[in-house]
Amino acid sequence: MAQNGIVELPATNTDVALASPWNVIVENDPINLMSYVTLVFQRVFGYPRTQAEKLMLEVHTKGRAIVWSGGREQAEMYVHQLHGYQLLARMEKVE
Amino acid sequence: MRLLQIEPADEKHLRIRGLDRMLCGCLDELPRLLEQGDRPPARQRLYPDPFRSDASANEEWHRLMDSDLRHLFVTAGEIVARDLARLEPDPAQPHRKQLLLPVAHLNAWISALNQARLILGEQFAVTEAEMRREELHPEREQDVALFKIHVLGYLLQLLVEHARPR
Repeated sequence: MAQNGIVELPATNTDVALASPWNVIVENDPINLMSYVTLVFQRVFGYPRTQAEKLMLEVHTKGRAIVWSGGREQAEMYVHQLHGYQLLARMEKVE
Repeated sequence: MRLLQIEPADEKHLRIRGLDRMLCGCLDELPRLLEQGDRPPARQRLYPDPFRSDASANEEWHRLMDSDLRHLFVTAGEIVARDLARLEPDPAQPHRKQLLLPVAHLNAWISALNQARLILGEQFAVTEAEMRREELHPEREQDVALFKIHVLGYLLQLLVEHARPR
């Protein structure tokens, strides 16, 4: 029950929807140098070299890797940056 | 001794030395090659869809983002084209050239070389297996493209090493 001066809002899933994380995915391509992809991960995400190399190898051997997860706006920013570096990046909502 | 090398010239410049005839030939072609990034099939590779199966979201994304990307790519190509006008003979290595490159242009060079390799890769549908081929035939167009991808990749590799955070 609402108290004086307090508006009680109906329960919605809005917060849940906004908070649902997104994965940023990088796919393998035959041309990009492994050292270049590592450098891009270091620059875009600030990952240390060992982590960046591990992700690069995952992209290379498995064909794709989730390189970051989080809010949609940030994911869009990262995908745009990765496209600027000419990596095959896309985003997927975490199910 | 490594014939192709990059060394600091001063605080603000790098010097690329030992550029041979093949690499200079590939670099000469760079501005013309980069112009093809705006056309299929390279365009789809340089401006990829961010969503796997949401056509309207992809359309909206391209409407908002592509001009920014294009500016980034074109600017990098323009910077490299201006730098290439300063190619000069390498006094230490006969038949080779050198280039003084502002450190501030390093990212533009990395971008332009990578764009060029990707454009060639798309134009000639280069696969992972083809990238590993060791025998190339100069009479085959795709092999010439592969050769250029490798030659430009060699220079790119050296530039990436210089750009790596210390």
